Amino acid sequence: MGTGLGDGVVGVFVGLLGLGGLALGLGARDGEMFVFGFSLAAFSALFVRGLIRQRALLTGRVAEEAAAKTETAAHV
Amino acid sequence: MPTKIEKDAARQAEAEAVRTTGHEWDGIYELDTPLPKWWVYLFIACVVFAGVYALLYPSIPYGRGYMHGILGYSSRDSVNAEVAAVDKQRAVAMGRIAVLPFEKIEADPELREVAEIAGRTAFANDCQPCHGAGGAGRPGYPALAAGAWIWGGHLEDLQATITHGIRSSDPEARESDMPRFGADRMLTKAQIQQVADYVWTHFYGHSESGVDTAPGEKLFADNCAPCHGDHGQGEREVGAPRLASHVHLYGDARETIVAQIVAPHEGIMPNWNKRLDPGTIKSLALYVHGLGGGE
Amino acid sequence: MSKYRVQDGALVDGGPLTYNDDVVRKFTIAAVIWAIVAFSVGVYIATELCWPSFNLGLPWTNFGRLRPVHTSAAIFAFGGSTLIGTAFYVVQRTCRARLWGPPALANFVFWGYQFFIVMAALSYVMGFSKSREYAEPEWHLDIWLTIIWVTFAVIYVGTLVKRREPHIYVANWFYLAFILTIAVLHVVNNLTLPVSWFGSKSYSLFSGVQDALVQWWYGHNAVGFFLTAGFLGMMYYFIPKAANRPIYSYRLSIVHFWSLIFIYIWAGPHHLLWTALPDWTQTLGMVFSIMLWMPSWGGMINGLMTLSGAWDKLRTDPGLRFSVTAVGFYGMATFEGPVMSIRNVNALSHYTDWGIGHVHSGSLGWVAFISFGAIYYLVPKLWNRDGLYSVRLASWHYWIATLGIVVYIVAMWVAGITEGLMWRAYDSHGFLQYSFIESVVAVHPFMVMRLIGGLLFLTGGLLMAYNLARTIAGTKPLIPGLAAAWPVLGAAPAGE
Repeated sequence: MGTGLGDGVVGVFVGLLGLGGLALGLGARDGEMFVFGFSLAAFSALFVRGLIRQRALLTGRVAEEAAAKTETAAHV
Repeated sequence: MPTKIEKDAARQAEAEAVRTTGHEWDGIYELDTPLPKWWVYLFIACVVFAGVYALLYPSIPYGRGYMHGILGYSSRDSVNAEVAAVDKQRAVAMGRIAVLPFEKIEADPELREVAEIAGRTAFANDCQPCHGAGGAGRPGYPALAAGAWIWGGHLEDLQATITHGIRSSDPEARESDMPRFGADRMLTKAQIQQVADYVWTHFYGHSESGVDTAPGEKLFADNCAPCHGDHGQGEREVGAPRLASHVHLYGDARETIVAQIVAPHEGIMPNWNKRLDPGTIKSLALYVHGLGGGE
Repeated sequence: MSKYRVQDGALVDGGPLTYNDDVVRKFTIAAVIWAIVAFSVGVYIATELCWPSFNLGLPWTNFGRLRPVHTSAAIFAFGGSTLIGTAFYVVQRTCRARLWGPPALANFVFWGYQFFIVMAALSYVMGFSKSREYAEPEWHLDIWLTIIWVTFAVIYVGTLVKRREPHIYVANWFYLAFILTIAVLHVVNNLTLPVSWFGSKSYSLFSGVQDALVQWWYGHNAVGFFLTAGFLGMMYYFIPKAANRPIYSYRLSIVHFWSLIFIYIWAGPHHLLWTALPDWTQTLGMVFSIMLWMPSWGGMINGLMTLSGAWDKLRTDPGLRFSVTAVGFYGMATFEGPVMSIRNVNALSHYTDWGIGHVHSGSLGWVAFISFGAIYYLVPKLWNRDGLYSVRLASWHYWIATLGIVVYIVAMWVAGITEGLMWRAYDSHGFLQYSFIESVVAVHPFMVMRLIGGLLFLTGGLLMAYNLARTIAGTKPLIPGLAAAWPVLGAAPAGE
């Protein structure tokens, strides 16, 4: 599926940004950088998790639909 | 049957169908109406105005300079001219206020009026932010209307304080430095409490039964009286506030006395001689003197 | 091959073309939420200006920290979400092309932008600010926004490139000008040197009067390209769509687009009249502002005249009424602006509340109203509903908000002119007649009046939020066969 690859690239990119955030948060020298760094890490984790869940949901549904169709075809 | 409005609309649509550009996006067409004449003329007029204005006033830069314009205008010059004009208007009266002694100013109704105006506006702009409207004061900023002077309430005292400031950078600034009895471990915590008890009951006039003020009285006599006086009357020469009073710089609470003995706040007042002319400073002295606490 | 395709996390029929409306829906919801936040914070700090003790004596609720929360929420959160959302909606339809790039990319723009807004607001409240008006976020947030913005630009331009229309519609010129110029402004104005890579504090690369000029080149063009060009793009799509009329003049749109773009960028110095900025720069700022008058009005003419033959729709369509009133306020504000840029007028108006009034006739009257018009149009379409939950409620929103704006700007005009006159008044002896604090006391009633205007505007916004929520939750579908798009993540309708 064509869109899967693109989504994957975006996911990896956001994941890397999240790692950067983690580094900023760990080395933070003030409250703002601390909050920003860890928030960025959390943002990235949630974003990537959402992508993975959606993908899982979709592939599951595509398979279901396909199965349903074969079934109908068999009956005819 | 179509109504008149519908027929008109249909006719207009027909006429427009000819005049559209022929492009279409998501059902949106564009008419090829020419630019409105008034719009074009006003646009040109604005551009002409802009050109003429740019010729008259400083505009085009070149190298390190710029075209000064036919009028030779400069915003700095125009502000300077305005300031010079009002300075001139004020000069005669303010010049006399600056040199005459206070009694002479007060005796002259015209000078008194000018001094009053000058003092009122200068006070509202420069003093009121800290000392409050009408010199009501607030914690840390003396109440000028109350007459509880730390450095003296005569006209000359006020003039000196305003001119040189308190703990300012001026070499003639009024200086006073109360020791940090707590922070520098000159007194113990218990001793400080005893002194505070004594000052609070004896000078601030609060009554509290069951507190033995004798040790506090002894400590006060040894440590505080040299500046604040045996009877808490204060000493203006060194800027030690009068304690036997109902007006206190940092408030009436016993905790503020403790805080002040532990590590005193030392307020700063600017020296206004850098920002105000002598006439305005003397006007201010007169104004502050007249707030209700003048001596 | 299955006849199903996956799009935006949704299974759709393998029809000829579907648009990515999922991201538009998200931006629309965000815009409504941020509108309420922006108006509420505005009302709150207006009470602080009436009665300072409303700051509760806490650092976090101090006016100085909440003010950028208000301006950023209004401009970037509410305005920005509306702009990006409608840009995605309009570009797909006028190009007959789906958004470029994988769906996750558009989603990244949405969530990344919301993350930026929340982080920026949090940093202001915590006391971190670059102290540059409308560019307060510190360097790390600036870099984050740059990433988001470039992604947004790539998606937008990518969609334009793969369009299936021979020409690019005028709305897209304006959206593109907005996207590109904001990118340049944002990068240049926020060139700062961080104290440490692990600390938030940074210092501007520029200093002194150059710094001030760069800041106001940015600040003025944020108004010009974010709040004007972007929203003109919105106007050029939603007014002809809602009125179902052709654009009045193609030629005018070309001429006023290019003249607006060319002239706006030079007018920034008018924010620094009567300052240390050299006189020649001040003059140029002023004359470019004067020349800007007609290019600005070109948009107004095209907006209003497009309605000829469809004025009766104003009675029945409150959304269109919002859009048209917005164009009216736009015309007023873009006339007032050049007037205020004239040196002698500016000597009276500078630093007074007149400026606040001017900004709000633009932001409440133009930006918010054109956004309301677009949102009222969009929501039924995006969620496949047969019209709004209540047209009457939208009508009430219109009248309450309009009244609020009028009360607000009249109060600020009176306050501003009062301040300007009091500050420059001399008495017969050559002394300033009033102290500053006296002018503060004098305008207090108008501060209270402004608060009332703001409360009215907020009330209208709440009515809208309720109306839209009920519309989305409703069950009357526009196209019977299509499932409702909300709240199911999966089923994205094709739009039109």
